[in-house]
Amino acid sequence: MSTDFVFLLQAVAWPLVLLLAWFVGERLHERWQVPRVTSYVGVGLLGGLVNLPGLTTDIPGLPFLANVALSLVLFELGYRINLRWFRHNPWVLLQGVLESIATFGLIYWVTGWLNLPIDQRLIIAALSVSASPAGVVRVANELRSAGQATERVLHLCAINCALAVLALKLVVGYWHLSTSGDLVMAAFGSVHVVATSVAMGGLLGVVVPWLLRFRASQARDMTVVFALSVLLLTTAAYGLRLSPLLAALAFGIVARERRVHLTNAQRDFGTAGDLLAVFLFVYIASLLDWAQVASTLWLGVLLIAVRTASKVAFGLAAARLSGITERKGVLTGLALTPMSAFAILLLEQSRLMGFEPAVAVLSVLTGMMLLQELLGPVITQRALRAARETHVTKE
Amino acid sequence: MPLETFKASDSLTMGVELELQLVNSHDFDLSSSANDLLELLRRKPFPGTVTPEMTQSMIEIATDVQREHGPLLAQLQAIRDTLVHAGDRLNIELAGGGTHPFQRWFEQRIFSKPRFQELSGLYGYLAKQFTVFGQHVHIGCASPDEALFLLHSLNRYVPHFIALSASSPFSQGVDTLFDSARLNSVFAFPLSGRAPFVLSWDEFANGYFTKMESTGVVKSMKDFYWDIRPKPEYGTIELRVCDTPLTVERAAALACYLQALCRHLLERNEPPPEEDDYLVYTYNRFQACRFGLDGMMVNPKTREQISIREDVLATLRKLGPHAQALNSMAALDEIERTAARTGNHATFLRNRFKESGSVQAVVRASVEALRSGPV
Repeated sequence: MSTDFVFLLQAVAWPLVLLLAWFVGERLHERWQVPRVTSYVGVGLLGGLVNLPGLTTDIPGLPFLANVALSLVLFELGYRINLRWFRHNPWVLLQGVLESIATFGLIYWVTGWLNLPIDQRLIIAALSVSASPAGVVRVANELRSAGQATERVLHLCAINCALAVLALKLVVGYWHLSTSGDLVMAAFGSVHVVATSVAMGGLLGVVVPWLLRFRASQARDMTVVFALSVLLLTTAAYGLRLSPLLAALAFGIVARERRVHLTNAQRDFGTAGDLLAVFLFVYIASLLDWAQVASTLWLGVLLIAVRTASKVAFGLAAARLSGITERKGVLTGLALTPMSAFAILLLEQSRLMGFEPAVAVLSVLTGMMLLQELLGPVITQRALRAARETHVTKE
Repeated sequence: MPLETFKASDSLTMGVELELQLVNSHDFDLSSSANDLLELLRRKPFPGTVTPEMTQSMIEIATDVQREHGPLLAQLQAIRDTLVHAGDRLNIELAGGGTHPFQRWFEQRIFSKPRFQELSGLYGYLAKQFTVFGQHVHIGCASPDEALFLLHSLNRYVPHFIALSASSPFSQGVDTLFDSARLNSVFAFPLSGRAPFVLSWDEFANGYFTKMESTGVVKSMKDFYWDIRPKPEYGTIELRVCDTPLTVERAAALACYLQALCRHLLERNEPPPEEDDYLVYTYNRFQACRFGLDGMMVNPKTREQISIREDVLATLRKLGPHAQALNSMAALDEIERTAARTGNHATFLRNRFKESGSVQAVVRASVEALRSGPV
């Protein structure tokens, strides 16, 4: 009888926590306009704290599901990227690339004060380059935000994410080289993963729109096709040990270039997207180990300060050159604060592929992730509001 | 405050105002980006004027006072190029068209200027439904009485301008079956429609306007949303029924068609305007909005039915010498081509929808038409 009960509790723990997260998200959003994703994270953290049965990393399939959820977000982010814009306004691209390099360098330098091993410092630096597409896209859509800050946050986020994956894969390659001396393995760990992931996403971005041409009626919404394609892409990337996130981003970018039209009624992939987002944020939060929080909190504060300073400084420096006010430049930098979901899933995936330092890095970064997850979306929300780009604008 | 004095200007000078859509480049919905665009445009001299409008997803541009088609078109093209270039730097697309095909008005952000706030407070959802985009053409008048004469003589030609400029077949994501759905939004305003039939400025300013003002309903000429209204501070009459066409080339042609028509009317060879002309006015206007050039209008003098297309073509035949004198043959050629062969831009947009089945592709076609010229 008691084993039945434990089994039942394990089985329903996840759905119950997700339901709770949804309710809390709606309530706090109505009450104090707390971004919904922040509430999901909060509930996930509490779930991790009380160590709910079933809320562990050991359940197979959950990391995959989380990757699907994030891949959908990355597809949507990719779909919003206008490559031609970079030609008309190279400053935006330049800002993204230079800021990524500077952030990498700064974080690597700062972590040097703290007696961390070099491979960990490199990984932390690579992850700090990224910005969380899930946090940024969900918050921007929730606010129905539109304008230069929003547009730039999304484009810079995509650049940051692509470069973060690249940097991490190079670090992994370097690690393989230094531990095994196997150059082939090292090359496989970096260049191959990045190039093949992009190529696979890009290929699907050409094939799917081409197949859609053969429909008799163009009227039906195509969101389902793209959601299923993202699922296919994620599965394939898993099987081939590629980066599902990078592939999904490339898929979105190419699909847009192929002039596919997704209706705005299906932002965030509609109801399915909402469902997966609740899961994603709760899951990510539950991965954090509370035992590490106290000891890593100060490191977290330091890293966040340096990373934010870098993004804001570049936002400010590029503002006038790229055609916006300094104020919006600063707000753009601030809005890029969230980084957790993307970084954690990247680490998770590296761990699954046998990259040993990933586990240690996740525990070192616990404090940073905790703060970023909870506060990042709030900062993005406040920044976009301050830029007066949200639908409900207080004058 | 009494109506200001009518500032006389040179007869048949003209000026064009266009309200343009700002759309994003990913799903082609309206983009609340006017502040960002204006901020960037402020940094360099602009070849005309550009001002914010009711919502953040709209800007209005205006030319200087022009006399001929060539310079008018050149200025409109320079304005367009400047705007498109600025839009490219900010990842914002610009488009003509009287409505945005699928925007939802309740998602639009209203501009923060006090007058606009006041309007949206007063009109509620009408103010947001007023997210429509028109072309206004000013024609200079030597005297206020000439202005009123022209204003009322033009009444029978109003359907021409509606049908020729119509570019708003889609609204809220569906084909409205109207060629100009935009005007239906304008008609919802209490002070829209036609001006009262008064031919002397003295009677208009000291009689009608003073009485209206004493009712407290209006404070200035700005409160009237008439199809044609006098604009005393410019010394012009302003034709307001046109949808913003998809191209500045069409906009310039429409202005020059009006200019040539006014030159013709000022020769006073046509029967003078009278109140009874307005008996068929709203019927004709409806036909033009609904059916465009295929609409049937009733000639107010002869009481005969004729298709708007035929009436435009017949009018063009009379305007030949005026176009010669005004150097606007190219403009009238474009009007002739539109009426006789290519059709208005509503037809163009419907064809794009038929090909693609997507309202977003319709906006994309509008964006490309504005960029690259005649369609």
